[in-house]
Amino acid sequence: MVFGVQKIFNLACGSFYALGAYTGVSAVAWYAGAGGPPALFVVPLVVAGLAVGAVGVVVERGLLRFVYDRDETFQLLLTFAVVLMMEDALRMIWGPAPRSTSGLYLTYGQLRVLGAAVPVYNLIVIAASLVIALSIGWLLTRTAFGRIMRAAADNREMAEALGVDMRGVYAKVFTLGTALGTLGGALVIPATAAMSEMGIELIVEAFAVVVIGGLGSMRGAFVGALVVGVLRSIAISVYPELEMLLIYLIVIVVLVVRPRGLFGGAAA
Amino acid sequence: MKRAFALVAATAAVAVAPFVVGTYHVLLMLPFMAYAVVLLGLNLLFGYAGLVSFGHALFVGIGAYTGAFITSHTKIRSLEVILLAAGVLGALAAVPVAALCVRYVKIYFGMLTLAFGMVFYTFVLKFYRLTGGDEGTPFLRPALLGLGLEAMPKIDYLTGPFYYYSMAVLGLAMLVMWRIVRSPFGLCLRTIRDNPGKAETLGIGVTRYRFLAFVISAVYAAVGGALLGPPIGNVDPTLAYWTHSGNLVFMTLLGGFASFFGPVVGAFVFIYLQNWVMSVVEYWRLVFGAILALIVIFAPEGLVGLVTRRRPAPAARA
Amino acid sequence: MMLRADGLTKRYGEFLALDGVSLTVGEGEFVSIIGPNGAGKSTLINVLTGVIRPSSGSVRFKEREVAGIGPVRLARLGMARSFQLVQIFPDLTVLETLQAAVVSRLGRGTRLFTSLAADREVQAGALEVAELFGLAERRHVPARHLPQGDKKLLDVASAFALKPEIILLDEPTSGVSTADKTAIMETLVAASRRVGLRAIIQVEHDMDIVFAYSDRIVALHQGKVLADDAPAAILSDQRVIDTVIGRRAARS
Repeated sequence: MVFGVQKIFNLACGSFYALGAYTGVSAVAWYAGAGGPPALFVVPLVVAGLAVGAVGVVVERGLLRFVYDRDETFQLLLTFAVVLMMEDALRMIWGPAPRSTSGLYLTYGQLRVLGAAVPVYNLIVIAASLVIALSIGWLLTRTAFGRIMRAAADNREMAEALGVDMRGVYAKVFTLGTALGTLGGALVIPATAAMSEMGIELIVEAFAVVVIGGLGSMRGAFVGALVVGVLRSIAISVYPELEMLLIYLIVIVVLVVRPRGLFGGAAA
Repeated sequence: MKRAFALVAATAAVAVAPFVVGTYHVLLMLPFMAYAVVLLGLNLLFGYAGLVSFGHALFVGIGAYTGAFITSHTKIRSLEVILLAAGVLGALAAVPVAALCVRYVKIYFGMLTLAFGMVFYTFVLKFYRLTGGDEGTPFLRPALLGLGLEAMPKIDYLTGPFYYYSMAVLGLAMLVMWRIVRSPFGLCLRTIRDNPGKAETLGIGVTRYRFLAFVISAVYAAVGGALLGPPIGNVDPTLAYWTHSGNLVFMTLLGGFASFFGPVVGAFVFIYLQNWVMSVVEYWRLVFGAILALIVIFAPEGLVGLVTRRRPAPAARA
Repeated sequence: MMLRADGLTKRYGEFLALDGVSLTVGEGEFVSIIGPNGAGKSTLINVLTGVIRPSSGSVRFKEREVAGIGPVRLARLGMARSFQLVQIFPDLTVLETLQAAVVSRLGRGTRLFTSLAADREVQAGALEVAELFGLAERRHVPARHLPQGDKKLLDVASAFALKPEIILLDEPTSGVSTADKTAIMETLVAASRRVGLRAIIQVEHDMDIVFAYSDRIVALHQGKVLADDAPAAILSDQRVIDTVIGRRAARS
């Protein structure tokens, strides 16, 4: 989304994901400590995940907006600066040890699906991501703001000439993008632990997803994520060493054969 | 003339350092010199050809692992052989990578190089039988100009013979790069950086020159990577992680990519600053991230640029 | 016969930018291509200079098929061009820009370890062109600091520095004040003699310039060649007057 509208490849999106994860852990811990019913633990999780997305406003207004008129390289480097800062900021606030929500994961129990025991929570996450994807789709196609986003992504100067306030759009889009990242991190937390390398590891995966799906395309991100997720699972069960290697090789192949990805727009 | 004087003074300072400053600081000079070699190459790509690689740690890793392999698995100890092998392997690896990557620019180039870097990282991490996985492979003490020097205590070796050897390698690297940059080839690179479309109409084949620049930069990165090994004594996959590539670009930007000496200055400042910050505060990345942000926003021409007030080139708006 | 285009068409989806355009340029000719905006002039230039591949038709340069071979190879074969929107190397000085062209001409681009400054042939070649175009005094000025007119001159000069056999100029006097236009054209013509140019093709809007310098005029309209003749004949061609020149030329 951020790339599509702002043409910035945000290296820090993984860091935001990590931020959401850690915040989620803390939120759930607080909730459990405050005596909330376990069944509703997703509520503080989701709320925390969304709320901390406000960091996006700070990053965008405080840093990114100074480099919009510069070469893409500098924008990329600025997001790298954010990566560095967040890596340590997270470590500062939450410490270097992994954090998790342990037991709560299985609160909802498990289901037998196709002969395997699947935690209901996983199904909830899948459902949630579908809902989010559909919401974004609705936002883009049915709302005025969505239309503005698509116009800005297509032709920024034209949109500005038509009276769109790009500064406002950029601030909102970036914040929305950040919030999605933090929410994603929060949602995933019951299933895995929040670790300090989360951010810098995720960005490479996220990068694979958007390259395969097509930079700037929502549909692409969805499909790309499916492809990467499925491929990883297959790779893990067949030949664990190859897991991420396979993904990177596919990224390279995609970038060479069809740089636009499956659904992307702009050519290389 | 000012520059020549500064250069002579700097060389003299580096040469006498082991006799004047404490061991700790002398030891810090070693990674500085290794990184300076790497960055000289990276800047050929960044400052002179206008391409930002986010995967150059790949070649640093290749160089380092070449040395580690040679010393750990063979009886060869000659650093000359190691550096040569590192350079050759770096070039060989660069050929397919460059062939693919130079057809793309800017973000796509950055992403492709990042992907290649991570391929190498994953390979080195996962195939632990070969590479020692995350524990890495030992890089045993190399022989300098045929002299074994096994008997020397490690510190004496590093602050003595190895120090001056590194200095010589850096000096040679700088000399060669200076020639390259002032050659017709260097000029053609700059035309491609400034306006590839126009360069083509002047008969300058854009991809071919980028390819050459990439391979040369890879050789430098590998040689520098090999020099990184001996002081630590061990080589591990983190050398190839993408954030390490990011740091390389950071260092170049810090020093100033629009100048020849910028990268060297960048390496020096980065190493020392990092060392100092780490001793004062645990969270050096936070400080460095802020520094990078400040540079990008306020001083994209880097330290050398600030001093000479030069405008940066990759922001070319033709 | 230096350049020969046969039946060039270029389609962009439904839109036909060029429709069966044929033209020839002979030794020593100065040909101007005129036509209203959207007539296909820029497309034609881009096809002729190998930047765009035609949908059909051929372009022969010195008896060689060159359609779509790309600007790099064409430059090496002896065809150069300048641009409508001025193209320069912002951070290179005037001299360096010209040196780059000479380096390319002499095939020395892959010399990695020789000193450019010490290469007398390159230095002399670049200086010669700088003097031809009146840029010698500003030869150490970075291109982006030049006034617009000089940038335009530099764009053309660097193409000339290739010592091409044929040059295509895309609106060489556009964006330049009337007083400077003639000066540029005079410089151009003088330089072409010195450099050994064998033919010039230009796209030009200024009819005074067109009629003052051309041996032949090709009028394009909606992707087709409307007329291809000497200036005198063109002046009395009613169709051309109607679509391109306008009433005033007829009256003057």
